[in-house]
Amino acid sequence: MLKSVIEWTWVLAIFGVAALIGNWFGMDVLPWEAIPGMLVLIAVSLVGLMLEKALPFSMPAVGYIGILAIIISLPWFPGSDYVVAWTSQIGILALATPILAYAGISVGSNWADFRKLGFRSFLVAIAVFLGTFIGSALIAEVILRWQGII
Amino acid sequence: MEKVELGTVIKDWRLHAIAFILVAITEAIGQFSISVGPGVILLLPMLYAFFLGLGLYFTPLISEKNAKNAEPLIILGVTLLIAKIGVTIGPQIEAIIAAGPALLLQELGNLGTIFLALPLAVLLGFRRESIGMTHSIAREPNVGLIVNKFGFSSPEGRGVMAVYIFGTVFGAVFLGLISGLLATATPLHPLSFAMASGVGSGSMMAAASGSLIGAYPELEEQIVAFAGASNLLSLSTGLYFSIFIGLPLTEKLYSIMMRRSERKAAKGGGPHA
Repeated sequence: MLKSVIEWTWVLAIFGVAALIGNWFGMDVLPWEAIPGMLVLIAVSLVGLMLEKALPFSMPAVGYIGILAIIISLPWFPGSDYVVAWTSQIGILALATPILAYAGISVGSNWADFRKLGFRSFLVAIAVFLGTFIGSALIAEVILRWQGII
Repeated sequence: MEKVELGTVIKDWRLHAIAFILVAITEAIGQFSISVGPGVILLLPMLYAFFLGLGLYFTPLISEKNAKNAEPLIILGVTLLIAKIGVTIGPQIEAIIAAGPALLLQELGNLGTIFLALPLAVLLGFRRESIGMTHSIAREPNVGLIVNKFGFSSPEGRGVMAVYIFGTVFGAVFLGLISGLLATATPLHPLSFAMASGVGSGSMMAAASGSLIGAYPELEEQIVAFAGASNLLSLSTGLYFSIFIGLPLTEKLYSIMMRRSERKAAKGGGPHA
């Protein structure tokens, strides 16, 4: 467990550096201004990863992480003002860019499989993604309008 | 994830240096928008980063080993993304609860996949593959479900793998492109698309909602909160949704379509492809 925690911390820290670089170049937030927020996010991720290993439920780490992050940022949670203020220094796109950079590099090794799929599979896959996206948006639109939220 | 040793991943400085440079360059370039009819296609740094990264794989700069080592960075990077989304949801909890009915019901929108893609798959000549392909967006839990039920080398297994591979390679990029375009070109509200962005994959949600934020920066907080809440919901209920609704419905529709085309074939003669 301890070995895993140290390794996770390293990987999260490396990723964090990439995100801070992106945040700096893309959103003009100086890295040291964003460090407290990044440390909060890393801590939340670490706790979630540890809970996944330690608890007997079959919930993936991201499930724990999402819930934990929501709880510590709720208005009535002590210190949530700091959590929200610090993490607001990190743009969501600054986290998305390094994910997709690493994803692009990693996907190269799936490229051979991808080329084997053929054009018909490609068309069906596009319809699959389009279908769920548009289906969900249409239902959300109807209900949100009906509730008067939008 | 356990396939690669995290220790060696950490020490792969070549990979990290390249990723840092990619991020710095792409973020410095910034975003562009292209008008397409009434809508806008947003080109975001994350898209350049993806394609530059993919391009580098085919140069000597990135080896097969570097590419394998990139995988845990994606998985752990997504945990940071989920944490960031969580802390954006907390302060917005009242708005989320108010939008609860829409959040819950839009999960049913995932059935849109079956109605749109299954007929197309059958029309294109797929048989039982189409069940694996179109019962869901084929993320890991769904691959697990299909493989568990039909086996990996079954037609259904091949189908789910095809969509899985497409999603892995192009899912985020594709959703990023169409979400900005659809939100600007259709009369639907960006917040409806924000909820639709939560398809159950962190990177796909980030790309789809990222484009929405690029197009509607003034709605950033709400977009992230709605997309994130919807994504958490999809992650936690998606598999059960597939087990009890999505997959049975796909199989039912498939058998109805097959019966009809058999009857047609019997009437009109002539073999059916």
